[in-house]
Amino acid sequence: MTFDDETVMAYVDGELEPPARVALEAAMACDPQLLRRVEAQRALRARLQRACAPLLEEPVPERLLDAARGARAPAAVPPLPRARPPVRRWSWPQWSAIAASLVVGALFGPPLLHPPDGSVTARDGRLLATGALAQALSRQLVSTQAPNAAVRIGLSFRRRDGAYCRSFLLRAPSPLAGVACREQDAWRMQVLAGAPPGPAVGDYRPAAAAMPAAVTGTVDALIAGEPLDAAAEAAARGRAWSQ
Amino acid sequence: MPPPAELHAQLVALLPRLRRFARSLTRNVHDADDLVQLAIERALARAAQLQADAPLAGWMYGIVRNAWLDEVRARERRQRLLTPDVGDSLAGRVSGPTDAEQLAVQEALASLPEEQRSAVALVLIEGLSYKEAAYALGVPVGTLTSRLARGRGALQRLLGEPGPQA
Repeated sequence: MTFDDETVMAYVDGELEPPARVALEAAMACDPQLLRRVEAQRALRARLQRACAPLLEEPVPERLLDAARGARAPAAVPPLPRARPPVRRWSWPQWSAIAASLVVGALFGPPLLHPPDGSVTARDGRLLATGALAQALSRQLVSTQAPNAAVRIGLSFRRRDGAYCRSFLLRAPSPLAGVACREQDAWRMQVLAGAPPGPAVGDYRPAAAAMPAAVTGTVDALIAGEPLDAAAEAAARGRAWSQ
Repeated sequence: MPPPAELHAQLVALLPRLRRFARSLTRNVHDADDLVQLAIERALARAAQLQADAPLAGWMYGIVRNAWLDEVRARERRQRLLTPDVGDSLAGRVSGPTDAEQLAVQEALASLPEEQRSAVALVLIEGLSYKEAAYALGVPVGTLTSRLARGRGALQRLLGEPGPQA
């Protein structure tokens, strides 16, 4: 008796009904070639399962847990991404992993796989603003910033959990845009994107208008209500951006 | 349909598997998570259509896969500037498998036509029965098994046999 491939596969998949199963098992006992075919299918199945098993161990992102619990208003759900990166939380310790996951917009400029000098640092698996960028995020107001400032703030807004967030545009050493939120007395990156080459000096467009889509998409996904106006922004700074 | 609290709990429990299946479709974790989120929202919006005795996993896998087909069609319409390959390789660096064996298997899977890949992922990786997988994919069992056979044949050619023993 011969068994076609689909029958052998069905046997390995536990889908063969008893009469056919018994017949195949009986044949296997005295047909080494059939046995090899069964073993090859078993090996493939086991190999796929083994290789894909670790994916089940990965932590599930909060946003998916929220969605499954129905904790999120459907209206707030962004569509699937185009070039826009979804907003995520990161826990990988290395800069390169964090940076690679945060950095989007590969169309502009070189890959940003090392920290731009002194503006962003990885600490405890979080990517935080430092130096001039941190200063600007803490001090600079959209309403009063100089048009040629090294760091330009696009928007200030509150996230759904109440945290203050600000989008920014950094001209040097390479054009970089992003969104940072105030978490535990630091500015934590939510997204970083390569920005298109900067406008000429004297371009008075608001920084918000020059933001890459990745950044504006992240703002859209995070923001609760409207961006802060000048008074609210100044008041938030007065409280050191604590909630 | 199950009571809402129970449905939510079942969905939460399914998340790791839905993410894994979505990953086999999208090839990158970010798109996969967006896909799962979209599928969950669609599922919750349509929960009334879910019959009490219908297998939730099969139903959810089907919604994930249909959402992906919608997305693929939308991307084709938009003729994305960033080609899928560029996007995928970028994302692959972000959180792709680090293990050579995992990488080989995932690349082999990724090279299959979508229909074969879905069949292989649901039956061989997710462990669905033929009936459940056929239900998820909306095809007769005979169609599922022939896709599965072709997918397996291609994987064996790509991966060589036998595979390394773990």
